[in-house]
Amino acid sequence: MELFSDTIKEGIKVHYRNTNKYKTNLVTAFLSVPLNRKTATQNSLIASILRLGTATRPTQEEINKRLEEMYGAEFNCGIEKLGDTQILKFYIEVLNDNFLPQKENLLEQAINELFDLIFNPILENGGFKKRYIETEKVNLKNIIESKINDKDQYSFDRCIEEMYKNDAYSTYKYGYVEDIDKITDEELYNQYKNLIDSAKIDIYVSGEYNKQEIKDIIENNPNIQKLSPRNVANIVEEKNTSTTGDDNSNDTQPNTVIEKQNVTQGKLVIGLDIDANKNESKYILGIYNVILGASATSKLFQNVREKASLAYSARSLYVWQKNNIYIRCGIEIGNFDKALPIIYEQLEDMKNGNFTDDDVESAKRTFVSAIKAIQDEQDEEITYFIGQELSGNIPDFEEYTKRILEVTKEQVQNIANKISINTIYFLRN
Amino acid sequence: MQVIENKMVKEKLYIEKLDNGLTVMIFPRQNIQKKYVMWATNYGSIDNLFIEPNKTDTTKVPDGVAHFLEHKMFEQENGVNSLDALTALGVNPNAYTTTDHTAYLFECTDNFFEALDELMDYVQHPYFTDENVEKEKGIINQEIMMYDDYPEWIVYMNAIKAMYKNSPINIDVTGTIDTVSKIDKDILYKCYNTFYNPSNMVMFFAGDFKPEEIVEEIRKRLIPKASQGEIQRIYPEEPKEIVQKEIEEKRDVSIPMFVIGVKEDIKGEAEDIVKKHIALEVLLNIIISKSSNLYKQLYEEGLLQEEPTLEYEFSKIYSFALITGASNNPKEVYKRILDEIKKLQESGIDEESFNRAKKLIYGLYVREYNNIEDISKMFVSDYFKGINSFDYIDKYNQVTKEYAEELLEKFFKEEQMVLSIVK
Repeated sequence: MELFSDTIKEGIKVHYRNTNKYKTNLVTAFLSVPLNRKTATQNSLIASILRLGTATRPTQEEINKRLEEMYGAEFNCGIEKLGDTQILKFYIEVLNDNFLPQKENLLEQAINELFDLIFNPILENGGFKKRYIETEKVNLKNIIESKINDKDQYSFDRCIEEMYKNDAYSTYKYGYVEDIDKITDEELYNQYKNLIDSAKIDIYVSGEYNKQEIKDIIENNPNIQKLSPRNVANIVEEKNTSTTGDDNSNDTQPNTVIEKQNVTQGKLVIGLDIDANKNESKYILGIYNVILGASATSKLFQNVREKASLAYSARSLYVWQKNNIYIRCGIEIGNFDKALPIIYEQLEDMKNGNFTDDDVESAKRTFVSAIKAIQDEQDEEITYFIGQELSGNIPDFEEYTKRILEVTKEQVQNIANKISINTIYFLRN
Repeated sequence: MQVIENKMVKEKLYIEKLDNGLTVMIFPRQNIQKKYVMWATNYGSIDNLFIEPNKTDTTKVPDGVAHFLEHKMFEQENGVNSLDALTALGVNPNAYTTTDHTAYLFECTDNFFEALDELMDYVQHPYFTDENVEKEKGIINQEIMMYDDYPEWIVYMNAIKAMYKNSPINIDVTGTIDTVSKIDKDILYKCYNTFYNPSNMVMFFAGDFKPEEIVEEIRKRLIPKASQGEIQRIYPEEPKEIVQKEIEEKRDVSIPMFVIGVKEDIKGEAEDIVKKHIALEVLLNIIISKSSNLYKQLYEEGLLQEEPTLEYEFSKIYSFALITGASNNPKEVYKRILDEIKKLQESGIDEESFNRAKKLIYGLYVREYNNIEDISKMFVSDYFKGINSFDYIDKYNQVTKEYAEELLEKFFKEEQMVLSIVK
C-alpha cells in the first residue's frame, strides 16, 4: 500500500492511491475548516447549493443527466465533524474504463466535473443564484429537523451536546434552523469565497490509472490553477485538548439528563472522560474500548445483552479526537435502573483488572483485522487517510498495527482508572 | 467443477454440488486481504407452513422461527458461544434472516481455517434448551421494539401489508412479541431438521481462495447427513387485488415518509425474471430518477428534497415495486407519479432517457463487484431465486425500449398501487 502526496500549493494537497482492487475510480475532495457555530450553518448551506448548478451546467437536471451518461457516476457532498474541524466532503465515483463497453476516459471527465461543482458555481449578480439559495434554505431546515427521525443518532448527538455545552464541538454538523434565516445572500457568498481561499484542501484519487496522466489533468485544471496558497496550521491538530468544555475538575458527580419523546425503546448514552494524553494513550484506549464494548465478546455485550437480556444493542465508541468514550444501549424503558448498575460494574471491572490476557489478545486480533480490512474498502481507506492528514499524528497501517500489538493488560488497567463518567443521557417516553 | 466467467466484470465463479446436496460457490479475488464466507439456508420468515420431506402432515409454526433460529444457532452444548469464539479469533461474525433465507457468515483477514472450523461446527450442531430459548426471548423482544422506533421500517411494512392480504411476506421477519412467546425448543428442532439439510443450503466463499482446495476443506468438515427429499412449502392463495389503497401511521418524524407500492399479479406466464428486473429498474428511473422531468418539478416545488429510493422485489410468491421517499405532501407526490406513469404509457418513452437510464443501471450492476460482502450477499440471495447474478450483466443488452414499454403498460396499473405514510 502506497500513498503519494503532492503539495501543489501551500495548504492544497493531492494524494494518489493506485490500486487495482476495485471496479471504480474514486475522487474525493475535502475542504477542512475550524468548526464553529457561526459558520457551521453557512457552510452546510453552501455544500448543498453547489450541487444545483455550475457555470457550465447551470441546473441540477443538467448535472444529473451528465452523471447518468457517465454510467451513473455517483456524486455527492456531505458535511462531517471530526473533532473541532468541520469537513465539506465532495466525491465522485465512476467505473474504471476497463469495465465499460468501450473506453471513455471516465476518470478524466469525473475530475473535471467534480472541480467544476466545487469551484465554479453558477452565479448571478456576483453571488449564488437567489432561487437556489431559497430552495436550499428550506431543504437544509428539513435536514436539520430530520435529526429526530433517527433516535439512536439523536441521543448520541444530544449526549455530546450536554457534555460540551460551551464548546464549539457541541455544534451540530449541519448547523441550526434558527441560524438559517439570518444568513444574507451576500454573507453566504462571502463565506464561500472565504472557504475556497482558506480551507485546507485535500484531494484523493483512488483506483487504477496512470499517475502522471492524472497528475497533469489535475494540475492543469483551470479551477485548481486559480486557487491561492493558504496557511492551514490552525486546522491540523497537534495540541492535546482538554476533556471537557466548561469544567474539567475531578467533580465525580455525573450529569444526568432525561428527555421524553414518543419512543418504544429507551436509548441510553453514557459519555466518559479520559484523563490522559490522547496521543500517547490512543492505542491503549483502542484496546480498552474493544474489551469494554466494541465486540461481541465485550463486557457490555456479554453482560447487558447476553447475561441480563436487557438490550439488543450494547456497545461503546471511542472518539480519539476529543478523548471520550461513549456507551450506547437500547433498553426497555423500565429497565433504566437495572441497566445502570450493570454498566457501572463493567467500568469497575476494567479498573480492577477483571479481564484476562486472552481478552487483551483477542481485542488485538479484532483491531489488527479491522486495520487490514480498511485497506480493502475504497471509501473507508480514504476516510482513514484524511483522519491521518488532519491529525498529523496517526501513523500508517503498519505502524498502527505494531503499536496496537505492544499494548499490555497492565496499561489497559491503568488507563481504566483514568476514565470517569461525565454525562448520562436517557431518551424515554 | 462448473466455472462461469463474466468478461465484462472480468470475474469467475466456481460451482460444485456435493453428494449430500450442498452447493458450494467460490468467487476468487487474488489482490485483497479480506475473506468473506457465508453459509445460508433456503429458509426465511415466509416459510411458516410446510410438509417435512417424506411426510404427509402439514406443520404450522409461529411467525419468527427462522429469525429465532438465527439467534440461537451460536450457542453450543459445551457452553461455548460461537459468536464469542469467532470474535476471539479476530474475525467478524454475523448472521441475518430475510423473507426467504437465513445466512451465517464471517469476514476475516487471518485465522481463516480456525474460523471455518467454528462456523461449520456451530451450524451443524444445534443446541436448544427450555432455559436458553426462554432467555433469548428478552433479547428478541428488544430487537422488535427497536424496529418499532424505525419509521422507515414501519412505512415499509405498512406498504407490504396494504398490498398483501394472505402472503407471509406481510409478517415481520422477527415475528411479534406475541408469536415469539409461543416458540419453544421442539419447534426450533423441527424447523432446524427440516430446513438445515445440506440439500437446502449453499456456501459462498469470496476472497483469495483456490476453489479445489476449498471444496476439499469443506468435505472434511461436513458431518454425514443424507440429502433429503423435497420440502413442500405451502403458501396461502393471494388475491390479485391490493388490500387497501392508503395506510397511515403516526410517529415523531420531521417530514412525512412515504412508500408507494405497485403489486403485480404473478399468476401469469413464465417469463425471464432477470430481464424483467432490469427493465423495471430502468423504468423506475425514467419515471422519477434525479434527472427526470418529474423529479425536477417536484424538487422545485419543494415536494421532494431527495431522489426517492427505487426498488423491485420478487420471489415465487410476490412481485412488487417500491418508491420510497419523504415529502410534506406524499399524496400530491403519489398523484404526480401516477400522472407521469400514465403520460409515459400514452406517449411512450423517449430514446434518450431510455439509453441514459440503461447506462445508469449498468454502472450500478458493475459497482456491486467492488466489495466481496456485496458480491456474496448478491450471489446467495439470487441463488435462492434460481438466478446467477452474472445474468444481470449479460442480459442487460437484451432490454429494448419496446420491451420496457410493454412492461410499463402491464406492470404499472393504478388499481394495483398503494400509498403508505408515516407522519
